Amino acid sequence: MGRYIIRRLLYMLVVVLVVSMITFLLMHAVPGGPFTQEKTLPEETIRILNERYHLDEPLYVQYASYLYAVFIPHFTATPPSTSYQDDFLLNVNIGPLWIRWMNFGPSYKARGRTVNDIFRDNLPISAQLGVMSLFIALLIGMPLGIMSALKQNTALDYFGMGVAIFGVSVPVIVLGPIFIWIFGIELKWLPPTGWTAKPPFFLGFLPSSLNWEFFQHALMPSVALGLGSSAVIARLTRATLLQTIREDYIRTARSKGLHERVIITRHAMKNSLIPVVTVLGPLFAALVTGTFVTELIFGIPGMGKYFVTSITNRDYPVIMGTILLYAVFLVLANLAVDITYAYLDPRIRYD
Amino acid sequence: MAQLAFDPKSIGAGGTPLTQKRESLWQDAFQRLLRNRAAVLGGSIILLLILMALLAPMIAVKPFADQVLVDQNRVPGWLVSIFPSMEPYAKFSSDYPLGADYVGRDLFSRIVYGARVSLTVALIAPLISLIIGVIYGSISGYFGGRVDNIMMRIVDILYAFPSLLFIILLMAFFRSTISDIEPGTFAYALSRLDEALGGLLFIFVGIGLTAWQTMARLTRGQVLSVREKEFVEAAHTIGASNTRIMFRHILPNIVGPLIVAETLAIPGYIATEAFLSFIGLGVNPPTPSWGSMISDGSRAIRTYPNQAIFPALALAITMFAFNFLGDGLRDALDPRLRGTQ
Amino acid sequence: MHKNFYVLSLLVILSMILTACGGTTTQAPAATEPAAPGATEPPAHAATEPPAPEGPKVLISTFLGPGDVPTIDPAVVQDVNGTQITDEAFGGVTHLNEVTNLIEPGMAESWDAVDNADGTQTITFHLRDDVPWVRWNGTDVETVKTCDGSADRIVTANDFAYGIYRNQLPANASPYAYLLGFVLKGAADFSSGTTEDFSTVGVNVVDDQTLELTFIDQVAYNPQIAGLWVAYAQPKWIIEGDCEGGVEARGERWIEPGFFQSYGPFTLKDWVHDDYISIVKNPFWPGSDAIPQPKLDEVVFRILDESAQLADYEAGNIDNVITPPLSDLDRIKADPALGAELSVSPQFCTYYYGFNTKAPVVDDVRVRRALSMAVDRQSLIDNVTKGGQEPAQWFARPGLAGSPTMADHPDLGIKYDPEAAKAELQSYLDEKGVTADSLDLSLQYNTSAGHQAIAETIQQMWKDTLGVNVKLVNQEFAVHLDSVKSRDTPQIYRLAWCLDYPDANNFDRENNAVNGSQNPAENGEPYGGFNWKNEEYEALVLEAAKETDPARRVELYAEAEDISIVQDAIMIPLYWYTDLDLTKPYVVRTYSSTGKQAFEKWDILPH
Repeated sequence: MGRYIIRRLLYMLVVVLVVSMITFLLMHAVPGGPFTQEKTLPEETIRILNERYHLDEPLYVQYASYLYAVFIPHFTATPPSTSYQDDFLLNVNIGPLWIRWMNFGPSYKARGRTVNDIFRDNLPISAQLGVMSLFIALLIGMPLGIMSALKQNTALDYFGMGVAIFGVSVPVIVLGPIFIWIFGIELKWLPPTGWTAKPPFFLGFLPSSLNWEFFQHALMPSVALGLGSSAVIARLTRATLLQTIREDYIRTARSKGLHERVIITRHAMKNSLIPVVTVLGPLFAALVTGTFVTELIFGIPGMGKYFVTSITNRDYPVIMGTILLYAVFLVLANLAVDITYAYLDPRIRYD
Repeated sequence: MAQLAFDPKSIGAGGTPLTQKRESLWQDAFQRLLRNRAAVLGGSIILLLILMALLAPMIAVKPFADQVLVDQNRVPGWLVSIFPSMEPYAKFSSDYPLGADYVGRDLFSRIVYGARVSLTVALIAPLISLIIGVIYGSISGYFGGRVDNIMMRIVDILYAFPSLLFIILLMAFFRSTISDIEPGTFAYALSRLDEALGGLLFIFVGIGLTAWQTMARLTRGQVLSVREKEFVEAAHTIGASNTRIMFRHILPNIVGPLIVAETLAIPGYIATEAFLSFIGLGVNPPTPSWGSMISDGSRAIRTYPNQAIFPALALAITMFAFNFLGDGLRDALDPRLRGTQ
Repeated sequence: MHKNFYVLSLLVILSMILTACGGTTTQAPAATEPAAPGATEPPAHAATEPPAPEGPKVLISTFLGPGDVPTIDPAVVQDVNGTQITDEAFGGVTHLNEVTNLIEPGMAESWDAVDNADGTQTITFHLRDDVPWVRWNGTDVETVKTCDGSADRIVTANDFAYGIYRNQLPANASPYAYLLGFVLKGAADFSSGTTEDFSTVGVNVVDDQTLELTFIDQVAYNPQIAGLWVAYAQPKWIIEGDCEGGVEARGERWIEPGFFQSYGPFTLKDWVHDDYISIVKNPFWPGSDAIPQPKLDEVVFRILDESAQLADYEAGNIDNVITPPLSDLDRIKADPALGAELSVSPQFCTYYYGFNTKAPVVDDVRVRRALSMAVDRQSLIDNVTKGGQEPAQWFARPGLAGSPTMADHPDLGIKYDPEAAKAELQSYLDEKGVTADSLDLSLQYNTSAGHQAIAETIQQMWKDTLGVNVKLVNQEFAVHLDSVKSRDTPQIYRLAWCLDYPDANNFDRENNAVNGSQNPAENGEPYGGFNWKNEEYEALVLEAAKETDPARRVELYAEAEDISIVQDAIMIPLYWYTDLDLTKPYVVRTYSSTGKQAFEKWDILPH
């Protein structure tokens, strides 16, 4: 298992490298640079800005320096400075030696921040929102799916699937403002906008205090975002459970006289979980990165908007950083999924 | 020759014949599909929508692009009974069955014409994705070995790309390079086509380019499992060419699940188009699309909810329909459920 | 069994409708009663307390709009939001009154200008000596001490000289370095790197309280520019370090909470990116007539999207929002409570459609004038933009120094005149022998719902009045901007220009003249943007810049506007911006016309 994981991680490195190259080329192929604005900057200023960010160098040099800054650990004797170009994610100090790794560069648009700042401050919030949405998706989706499968073709089945399809068909753009309207303004049960967790975070990404106020703010956005995923989970659970129930070993268990509930929980569930776990990986990655609309509507300071606005702003370091982040997330999520497979299904063995 | 001790034909309880009249897979599937009420409902809705889209000029009497500024945000009278809070500020008019939008265009006509856009996305994007994906996946699955390995690695890498961002990058790239091409070139023809479609061409292409990977994976998996079957081996033995085996034997057997998967992905495509319109990368005005109508309307959702809710309803119904149809297709084509129900 | 299914699917669809309109049974007036923040749910953030009568006065505003502030370093700040914060935290030698637009004493109590023989002008600023540097230390505001800790660091002329130095330093690549480069002697050479010697720049520190600045031209707006953020005092010690290592050098990151130092009426308290930025009252600010001591204890600027802002305002969690979403304006105006809270104030921007005067079809001035006169600006404002904007008859908005006003020049510029428009176009069509609908015209704008609405409306107006079919093209912001200043500038394109400093020069010369922002040129010949050169215009704006008599200046700019808007019709001015605010009735405030508010003059009443 260990060797398998290492192999997969090495593979991830290759994937990330290729993704970075494609993104880099595509990014520079799109016309318009980071310094185009309504009031044209004087040529002089643009020249100086390009020099400062090394945008006047040939593309392959820029790409090479980027790779050097991000992928290769730096060993240096100089302690970290406060310059925006000098912000590394990992700084380890051993005596007089500093080991520094992962400098994603400064943001061109937000002059007071680096991409690492965005990772440190905004990413955890999106991750929190994503985790909570996933949790809600499972909370709603699995019971719905199980109920629909067990009571197939009855009213409950159609109701369950109806709710599921509703979740998938009504976009957050519509659902979000409706939630805010009903629960935030009319009923005043929940605060319409905001997210209480802010940096510094506990362990780097957890909210520093999980109080009632936090959940009040988190409820509406998590449900609005999670409803769509709950639909996917519900339908998947239903489909697999339906199949599993028809398997021979279930029939055997039944004929042995086992309690129906035991059959479902002990035998059927474990096997039906596999397809659900399969989609959890990409689903989580998509949730964390697909929070753009939810964060916009609910005023949550997450990373979602950087995925989209970085492209319109031609903010190259942020574009590269966000896309690489997504790629890494996805590969790691898939790896986690595969490992969970091995746990769930003893027949699956990796070597 | 020794006499058999029993009559093979009579094996089976009560002497019932072993062989039954076999219907083809497709006939059986179609019949099961028809018995699935949900799928029938879904299919009929889709047919209705297609009809509506084709007959749009006859149904939507008011032109969808005409702005009547004085009729901005007009609301039909019956809406107030559902949303009484609109009373103080809404201006009523019975000319507009569903109301007018922020520049006075008829919502009903726009929804009817918007069906064209959404349906075109729903039907063409999967086509692109299917064609590329199936060809890629079958080549990879059929030849196997190193070819398969390399091809699948490429897919894995492309998979790690966030598709939405990729589409945005593509759109920015396509749209901007269009402004300076000379007439007569292929690129020019493409841009004219794009214009004619109201800005849709690159949306299809963008969505299709990012969706084919799943199709490729699926196809490959299916081809791999079918490849080992005896009838393929038999075809090999009698000397059939690769192409013949592919088209005549393998593809017809795997096309079922592929179509199901694609149908189930269609709501996703429609949602992607809606999202692109939301961030402004969708169709060019005044072409209506449900996605752009929802995005325009969502800003006014507290004041004029009809502007967002009606296109959202249309979108939801369409997605419902495709989901039901897809589910029905899957249930119908699933060989394990054969003979049941 | 099957019947149930039909019923159920109907129910599902019905439930969607019901969810959407659930909760609308409450009557509008009652539901929108602004509830006192103390009475509703717990505050949005731990950092802000609900304003109680005896507690601290905290204003929660979304004045900065939906985007995070990129930076608040005066040396490199560029956007309106950042400068709003720097204006509150720092202050220039002169101060612009936000309502009257007149210059008042700022950090300098007085100044004298001397015209030199070589055409330059030297202004000597006499600074106050009682303004200390302060910072927020986590619990309250404290003064910054000198190295030995005995005294407070006072703002001196040296700090101002350092501020100008940092702004002009090529390494900092300040987007607004060019502003000083235009007016300050020697600045352009220093900021472009031609020379590395800062002493060649016209900045002279005579003593701690006396600062001499030498300007290239003897123009009226020199003191104004000297008071802009590009010339604010900056704390050298925290940026470059001091006291033999006692003060750590923070470099570019000196603006972060905990390290930020300033001297104005407010100082930075907390900044959670994309969430909020808060400034706290500086009790050590001595206060002056122009810039009084703040009555508020704290202002929290929340960063939210338009619709989210409005939702939270209606829920009672925000005290002041800017630009409520256009589509909600009808409802807000009709609502007795909200309608009373809505206010309109002028803003110094002009929204216009520019022409590429050398592109096909629009290269004929008759076509341009016809298109300009065919736009019913009032109808556009009443029906589409709805923000109480003013139809623009010319470019340089009234209220700027030197700008003609509607009162004294009611017929200047261009107005809606469909008959004249038709006549102009007809003359063109007759000469060319073509019909109106055969003209190939296109309008490009950057993607946004607002611009789209305006473009579609005007497209319709052109069709109805002139019979021309103009194609609409929308491009993403960066691509659009690139294209409208390139050699392939589209025929018609949308743009807006907002003031950098309140003088007509900023509009008429810095945008329109050759080498201006929208008229890029090479060797004196324009190649993109307006693509336009008119010698008479150039002479007029140059003369107006130097003219000191205000009445004569207005006449000169009026003549210039007549050339650019009517005679040559290089653009279609559409409307002059206004600001729409919603403010709770318990907030006492001033209404700025410069686009930036003076929060030191605001107050919150007990409620």
